[in-house]
Amino acid sequence: MALLDIRNLNVAFTSYGQRTHVLRDVSLRIEEGQRVALIGETGSGKSVTSKAVLNTLPGNAAVESGAIHWRGQDVLRWPDSAREGLKGVEMSVVMQDPLSSFNPVFTIGRHLEDVLYWADRRNDTRRSRRDRRAHILDVLRKVQLGDGARVMEAYPAQLSGGMRQRVLIALALMNRPALLIADEPGTALDVTTQDEILKLINALVETEGLSLLMITHNLGVVRMMADDVYVMRKGVIMEHAPLAELFRAPRTDYARDLIAAIPPLYGPGVKDQPAAPVSEAPLVQLQGVHKTFAARRLFAPAQLTHAVRGVDLEIQRGEIFGLAGESGSGKTTVARMVMGIMQPSRGRVILDGTPLDQAFDGRADRRLAQIVYQNPGTSLNPKRTVGQTLEVPLRFAGLSRSEIQPRIDALLDRVGMPALFSSRYPHELSGGQKQRVAIARALAANPRLIVLDEPTSALDVSVQAQVIALLEELRSELGLTYLFISHDLSLMRNVCSRIAIMLRGELVEQGTPAEVFADPQHPYTRALIAAIPVITDAEDAAKPRVTDEEKARFLVSSAA
Amino acid sequence: MNAGLIEFLLRRAVGFVSVLLVLSLMIFVLARVVPGDPARMALGPAASQDQVDRMRAQMGLDEPLPVQYVNFLGGAVRGDFGTSLISGRDVTTEVLGLLPATLELVLATLALMLLFGVPLGVLAARYRNRWADTVLRLVSLVGVTMPAFLAAILLQLFAAYFLMDWPILGRLDRSMGMPAGPTGLLTIDGLLLGRPDVTLSALQHLAFPALALSLSGIAQIMRITRSAMIEHQRRDHVQTLRSFGVPGRVVTFRYLLKLSSVAPLTIMGLEFASLIGNAFVVEMVFAWGGFASYGLESILQKDLNAIMAVVMLSGLFFVVANLAIDVLIGLIDPRLRMKGGR
Repeated sequence: MALLDIRNLNVAFTSYGQRTHVLRDVSLRIEEGQRVALIGETGSGKSVTSKAVLNTLPGNAAVESGAIHWRGQDVLRWPDSAREGLKGVEMSVVMQDPLSSFNPVFTIGRHLEDVLYWADRRNDTRRSRRDRRAHILDVLRKVQLGDGARVMEAYPAQLSGGMRQRVLIALALMNRPALLIADEPGTALDVTTQDEILKLINALVETEGLSLLMITHNLGVVRMMADDVYVMRKGVIMEHAPLAELFRAPRTDYARDLIAAIPPLYGPGVKDQPAAPVSEAPLVQLQGVHKTFAARRLFAPAQLTHAVRGVDLEIQRGEIFGLAGESGSGKTTVARMVMGIMQPSRGRVILDGTPLDQAFDGRADRRLAQIVYQNPGTSLNPKRTVGQTLEVPLRFAGLSRSEIQPRIDALLDRVGMPALFSSRYPHELSGGQKQRVAIARALAANPRLIVLDEPTSALDVSVQAQVIALLEELRSELGLTYLFISHDLSLMRNVCSRIAIMLRGELVEQGTPAEVFADPQHPYTRALIAAIPVITDAEDAAKPRVTDEEKARFLVSSAA
Repeated sequence: MNAGLIEFLLRRAVGFVSVLLVLSLMIFVLARVVPGDPARMALGPAASQDQVDRMRAQMGLDEPLPVQYVNFLGGAVRGDFGTSLISGRDVTTEVLGLLPATLELVLATLALMLLFGVPLGVLAARYRNRWADTVLRLVSLVGVTMPAFLAAILLQLFAAYFLMDWPILGRLDRSMGMPAGPTGLLTIDGLLLGRPDVTLSALQHLAFPALALSLSGIAQIMRITRSAMIEHQRRDHVQTLRSFGVPGRVVTFRYLLKLSSVAPLTIMGLEFASLIGNAFVVEMVFAWGGFASYGLESILQKDLNAIMAVVMLSGLFFVVANLAIDVLIGLIDPRLRMKGGR
């Protein structure tokens, strides 16, 4: 008998009188002790499936037909109170975003206490306050949070993302569930932290004898975490196969495209971008640039944060210069200084031969440098149509009324969108289309440098591939130079002509991707590359090795 | 209390002191540009020019304006606002004597705002878009739009017609006299003096004025609580607790309520200003005899020293109330304590 057996599940959402069919005949089986992955892109219905199993669907959702068998019994026929009894006891979920998953005005301990207390109430377990505390500390040790007492006293905002993710796993393990549902765990974290979290989950599944339903969009994660894989798209299970078989011989085109869209880290598929010729006058020069932020305090001396320490770099014309690093490494601060939005505390930024402090009040000339932000959903004004958004930079560029509309049409055409999109609002566009609009806006003033700040990290892999192709095409046709900021090293391996790695405000390594990936010099670079989830054994074998001692020196462990 | 919270409070305190300074400057300038010579007003039309001049010197009105302002400020800090131009008595003594009456009314009003506003807001959020919510929102709209003086008169009429024996004027039954207690708040003094009948009668007298004053505040707090609850309801942390089987009522009444109480508390601090303004009128309607109605009389009689005292005291009220609310919010939300506030 399977532990969980979903049969022909149909779920629909109703909003504003509109019925949307989000799950169509979904069937999925998890045997006791099995690790199953459910993979799909945004809106594929993978999270809805997990919510249907847990009975946490939103109020406007309805299960229309099908069955969910738990240890052979159809739980959809059970009353709500009985299904409530399964939560956290038989099946537990590990949430995705570790910050918003906690109530900010209560301590971590309060959350853990309450979950345990109410689970005990349902199970008729009697435990004293002291026993509960001992049990919680025990579980926190299991997720490698040694200093459990301190963690319990802390408020959510006082812990790092990795520690919060560990607490979320501890919440799920509190009552030794049979099934662990992990919804994109670690996705919001740095790649090295994500790696730690995934290894921890794997170890726990092993030692605690759990079954795992892994929900993810990342095929590299699937390879690490699953024996059996379901591929989902638009509410339909497209393909179901054992892990090795899916990667070796995908049966559907969709699965094939999904695998092909992943930028390879090593092997024959890797693309080497041609290096730009080194000239006497690079487009961008940073000379000994420092940036310090000071938080003034009333009683204590000002707290200084050294965001950038002594960065020297040159970006050649026509280059795609990649700046990689984890959150807090200072890469975005560097980008802001290149744009002239922020002034360096020390050192000089020279753009096209002109030091920034002399030109335009320290701002970069708009016709020289433009920026594309990470999240097109928030960088476009929702109350302006695409045309109105594109009009702004054109007016600043000094175009007359009659010249603007033809130029908007040309820009949209340039980024591969029909002219009729000019009258649409951002919410009518998909994520990829929005990012195309953001790129068109950056192009409007005919810049020579475009700063791309994580331009594809909010997009699905298949869309990412299209946006990257567009960016490459624009570069060769318009002769642009890119400063490409990202934490996704496998993407950068294929897109950049040169990359630099930042760690705590310093550049620790610089070179062509081929050099850096074949023979990374700095242990931090090795640790970063080693943590990337890849999809073939060959790539895994080609990754550099890091010793635990090196990891301890350069990575902040999320275990405490 | 850690360093972060203390720093946050000190910043606010500095801000509030400057508010009081600006207020004092404004009321001082206003008092001096109003036509009419205070000395002449105090002595009446029959006094000779010589007498008026001597009065001016006595009141310090012959000094240059900046010196007058500094004198006024120095007096205000010591609690000395001079003598009333009308009654000739010490303004501070008069105002302090009337202060407990207003304080009792304001405290009762704030209590009503929280007691009704927050639970009704939670109720509306929990039954969002159902009939209870719709009715509450409609009623609250009336509450927000109805001016306090109208509410006061309507409530007074209601009490007079339908509750025959219900007192509608003053603070206490006349037969009880005015018991002299330590606090001046009759409800509390009644208990302290072992006179439950005084407390009961004071509460009866308090009910309708306080209700009239609190109506718009109740409505406002209800609306804010409702939207804060609904806003936070959608957050991931609600999902977290629900997925582990923590009952919905616990999530609502413990987790959401604490998080959602910051917004209504902030609003209450702002409401405080209009609350004092409305008290001027409501005290008149119910013959309350507090310092607010004293202020209104002073304005009508152009008793400048009394006006200044009342305005500065109202300002102090507002500032102290908001400081107290900031302490409360700082205790509720740990993020304010950690970052030292923004």
